[in-house]
Amino acid sequence: MPSEMITLQLGQCGNQIGFEFWKQLCIEHGISPEGILEEFASAGSDRKDVFFYQADDDHYIPRAVLLDLEPRVIHTIMNSPYAKLYNPENVYLSKHGGGAGNNWASGYAQGEKLNEEVFDIINREADGSDNLEGFVLCHSIAGGTGSGMGSYILEHLSDRFPKKLVQTYSVFPNLDEISDVVVQPYNSLLTLKRLTESADCVMVLDNTALNRIASDRLHIQNPSFAQINTLVSTIMSASTATLRYPSYMNNDLISLVAPLIPTPRLHFLMTGYTPLTADHELNTAPKIRKTTVLDVMQRLLQPKNMMVSLSPDRTNQHCYISILNIIQGEVDPSQVHKSLQRIRERKLASFIPWGPASIQVALSRRSPYVHASHKVSGLLLANHTNICSLFDRCLQQYDKLRKREAFLEVFRKEPMFRESLEEFDESRAVVDDLVREYQAAATPDYVHWNPESSQI
Amino acid sequence: MMQDALLILWNYSEEEDNTADNNLALYAEQGDAEVYGRIRDIAKSHQKIQNFIELTGFHARKSQTVSGLKSYGLYAQALSEGITEVLQSYKKTLVEVETLVIGNHNYTLSFVYSYVEKYRGLFNTLNKLIVTIKERRLVGCQILSLIQQYILNGNEMVHEAVVKIFSCVNKVFINQLCTWLLYGELRDPYQEFFIFRNQKDETSDTFLSSPSTNTCDKSLITTLQDTTLDCGYHLNVNMIPYFMPLSLAQEVLFIGKTVILFSYDPKKIKKSNCFITRPVIPLQNCGADSRRFTIWEEKEAEFHTKLQTLKNPEVFEVSNMRSVVREIKECVTKHLWNVAVEEAQLIHEVRLMKDFYLLGRGELFLELLRLTAHILDKPTTRTATRDMNHAFQLAARAVFLSNSADIEKFSFELPYVKPNISVNSTIEDDSSTVADGWSSIILKYDFKWPLHLLFTPEVLARYNDMFRLLLRIKKTQHDLHALWKTYKQSTSFSMCQLHNKLMFLMDNLQHYLQADVLETNFSRLMDAVDRTNDFEKLKKAHANFLADVLSQSFLTVTSSQESDVSGDSTDSLNNPVFCNIMELLKLCHSFCSMGDFAADREAEDYYIRGYSDRFNKLVKQLMQLLVSLRDRPCGVYLARLLMRLDYNRWLSGEAQLTQSVTNMLRY
Repeated sequence: MPSEMITLQLGQCGNQIGFEFWKQLCIEHGISPEGILEEFASAGSDRKDVFFYQADDDHYIPRAVLLDLEPRVIHTIMNSPYAKLYNPENVYLSKHGGGAGNNWASGYAQGEKLNEEVFDIINREADGSDNLEGFVLCHSIAGGTGSGMGSYILEHLSDRFPKKLVQTYSVFPNLDEISDVVVQPYNSLLTLKRLTESADCVMVLDNTALNRIASDRLHIQNPSFAQINTLVSTIMSASTATLRYPSYMNNDLISLVAPLIPTPRLHFLMTGYTPLTADHELNTAPKIRKTTVLDVMQRLLQPKNMMVSLSPDRTNQHCYISILNIIQGEVDPSQVHKSLQRIRERKLASFIPWGPASIQVALSRRSPYVHASHKVSGLLLANHTNICSLFDRCLQQYDKLRKREAFLEVFRKEPMFRESLEEFDESRAVVDDLVREYQAAATPDYVHWNPESSQI
Repeated sequence: MMQDALLILWNYSEEEDNTADNNLALYAEQGDAEVYGRIRDIAKSHQKIQNFIELTGFHARKSQTVSGLKSYGLYAQALSEGITEVLQSYKKTLVEVETLVIGNHNYTLSFVYSYVEKYRGLFNTLNKLIVTIKERRLVGCQILSLIQQYILNGNEMVHEAVVKIFSCVNKVFINQLCTWLLYGELRDPYQEFFIFRNQKDETSDTFLSSPSTNTCDKSLITTLQDTTLDCGYHLNVNMIPYFMPLSLAQEVLFIGKTVILFSYDPKKIKKSNCFITRPVIPLQNCGADSRRFTIWEEKEAEFHTKLQTLKNPEVFEVSNMRSVVREIKECVTKHLWNVAVEEAQLIHEVRLMKDFYLLGRGELFLELLRLTAHILDKPTTRTATRDMNHAFQLAARAVFLSNSADIEKFSFELPYVKPNISVNSTIEDDSSTVADGWSSIILKYDFKWPLHLLFTPEVLARYNDMFRLLLRIKKTQHDLHALWKTYKQSTSFSMCQLHNKLMFLMDNLQHYLQADVLETNFSRLMDAVDRTNDFEKLKKAHANFLADVLSQSFLTVTSSQESDVSGDSTDSLNNPVFCNIMELLKLCHSFCSMGDFAADREAEDYYIRGYSDRFNKLVKQLMQLLVSLRDRPCGVYLARLLMRLDYNRWLSGEAQLTQSVTNMLRY
């Protein structure tokens, strides 16, 4: 069983998107909510073993570890039809159940305290797989548990499993609306530092963009969490499609990640998906009829389909570092070359001036058990320099709060910040460096960029 | 005198001729000598014909065969029988004349002559025929075509006679055709049919002579199509009757071969293993042995009758023959389709070829590489084949394919070559001469019975060429990916950059091969298969597929200065693009193993600079090749590959090439 992945779900948000992800995987692989392979799916040639393993009684069990400091979301999961799917030993709730109070410092401290118990679970799960390739971490960067505890686990995963890949699906907060978490900018900044330094690949799921897509593109007023999470699970399932439906290429995570990330720190990927349809629109005629490869690839390059809200690139200075398109459905493979050529000639995407870059296209099968409303669908994974505008916004919000010295007391309560707030300054420097490195990557001078000189 | 005349008309001999000459003075009437001379001419030509008949007739053939002399064979015998039949009327006339002469002594010599005179034309024609046959040493079907040429004759009698003779000879031909078409048997003891069985294997001849500059791709397709249908049967071009077009003859050959093929069905061969040694049996008995000939079902009798009617010279026309042959061919190909495509699940097998030979099952080979890279890196050992197959089973189990019956059809072979260990040779010498597993590995495929029509040794060898290339690229890519996590922590930008460039190259090369070449051509093949239900067309489509894949993967020889196209092509591949790609693969390989020998930072920098230079040089070379290959079909595909590699125009900028090269990527 090569290239297995272990999923770690942290905090309220992490468990919610994780739950949606597993729901989607079960449907796609024909596994019932109890973990039993449906009869119609017994002859499938898909690879369930990447994300599931089979228990002695033939039940399929997700390689998932569910962690939270407060019981609400995990209880919802355990009361859902999918309760029996998970290995109960992998579900960890902190005993006092008080949560992290949306405080990064509290989450981090609790992570440290629970370190032994949590890593016992992770180690056991890792030992149970033949050839573990890496970890997928689902969390939000704004709250307490996902960000704080997630940061702690990130730091220590790379220590304990130095050869394994660590991929995260990180939910960025919605900046369009006023959050009830006032310390959100602090949490985000502190988590971003760990994502920059300890993760191998970060899939940026931007709530701002997801909400915008839900309202603008899917015409849902006030989209619910469930609706947003469906979008997320679609992306997560599509981005793992080539792993689960074996084809000629991209059969392991590294082959997806390595070509996308040419330089170590620029590993924040954004996603795009097309065509998007909401449940309530399924019955009406689909708006997008043309489903040629070229159409899909062109639509994927449009900013409105991007699941990250970037500030407009007025000076047109930003560019793609790399692009991977995963196209699912029935396509004529000879169209791939023509489409690539067309996009190249029309200069629909601008690329880095300091190294080779291209659009890679992976053709993948899709689940035979899911009725698709479209013949062809495409997922874009892109490394774009303009993603730094997202981090820049985080920095600005942080600076605003920090200038007023607002809400710092809650952090000072925790031992990490009792002495000084140095950690904040350090994190700010790391994120600032990241922004500058992304900006530099858009210029030919990037070849002379020295990560050491900028990091003092 | 009259008696003399009658006598020589019956039976002419040289001695009598001499005595007759002496008696010339005794002629009763003036002019009789003249008439006698004419009679003698007729008698002479009759005698010549008689001689021929005796020489070629049944008894002569028997005795000659026994005594081991070269004989004229069945066609000549038929000819002589035909002539004998024609001569019957002449003999009847002689008898008639004789009775008249005996009854009335007043009849003159010219009276006799008036009776036999009409045979002069016939005898002349027949003699011409005989002389031509003798002079040109015609045998078998050549005799048939010669006679056919004489059919059109203004003289009514001659015409009818030749038609009679022709129908006699034609019977032999039709009977041979009939047994060949319906039963795949060559009843041809004297090698007279236009199909012959070649006992020696001379297939290599055709390979060596074929390649020429421009027809490289075409000959590749034909080579790939040239299947083992030949159980040693070939067309004898000299023997094809001139009225039969070559295409028709080829169809006839194909039908017979296919029929033979079906009789070799391994499931049935045990029952009929006496087939090869069995003496030629009469047609009727053949029909009883029908289990071998299930191809025809109820149609056997129908086809048989149709063929037999061709014996009638009125019916015998090429168009009629063609229509019958076509009908039979249709029946045969339909049966072939049923057996190959439906029973042997050809389409499924073709997909398997793609999954395994063309690395369609990426996850399986990824696992296999993980398990076997150490075996393949070293020169092959005696146990390598076993280890490899064991690993293959393990890999299949790991990706849950072990239960599938398809896995068992494939196995690996690593030919073990005993290295020539000479005392002087250093270690370096050894490593350069002994091939490692990557270049010698063979994937073997055990297919169901009639599919060797499609997957001939030649075809499998080409598939293996592809397999080795793809496996090597996949391995290199895998090695580079494995280093990614390491270099992520490295602080040397130039190291990262070089690693990136190599990775980029491998990823895109693989994308090009798998998506642009394999997927595209494979979907085209599947379309072609869907559209037809003719096995021959399918075979052609498959040959085209393979030829296209090979040429687009730069595995074909572009120029033919070297003539050994067919030889062990792994060594003789001289396609410049392929050589360049192999160099790049080597570069990647040494880059990946740099960690083993670059001790410190300085050494590392030194190697990186060297590798970077080499990379730039090779890429530049690749781009320049585009210019020189512009007019070749290979150039189009190189342009496609380069379009992917130079997508953001960085490589061409780095190589400081002019804009024109980039513009050429617009294919």
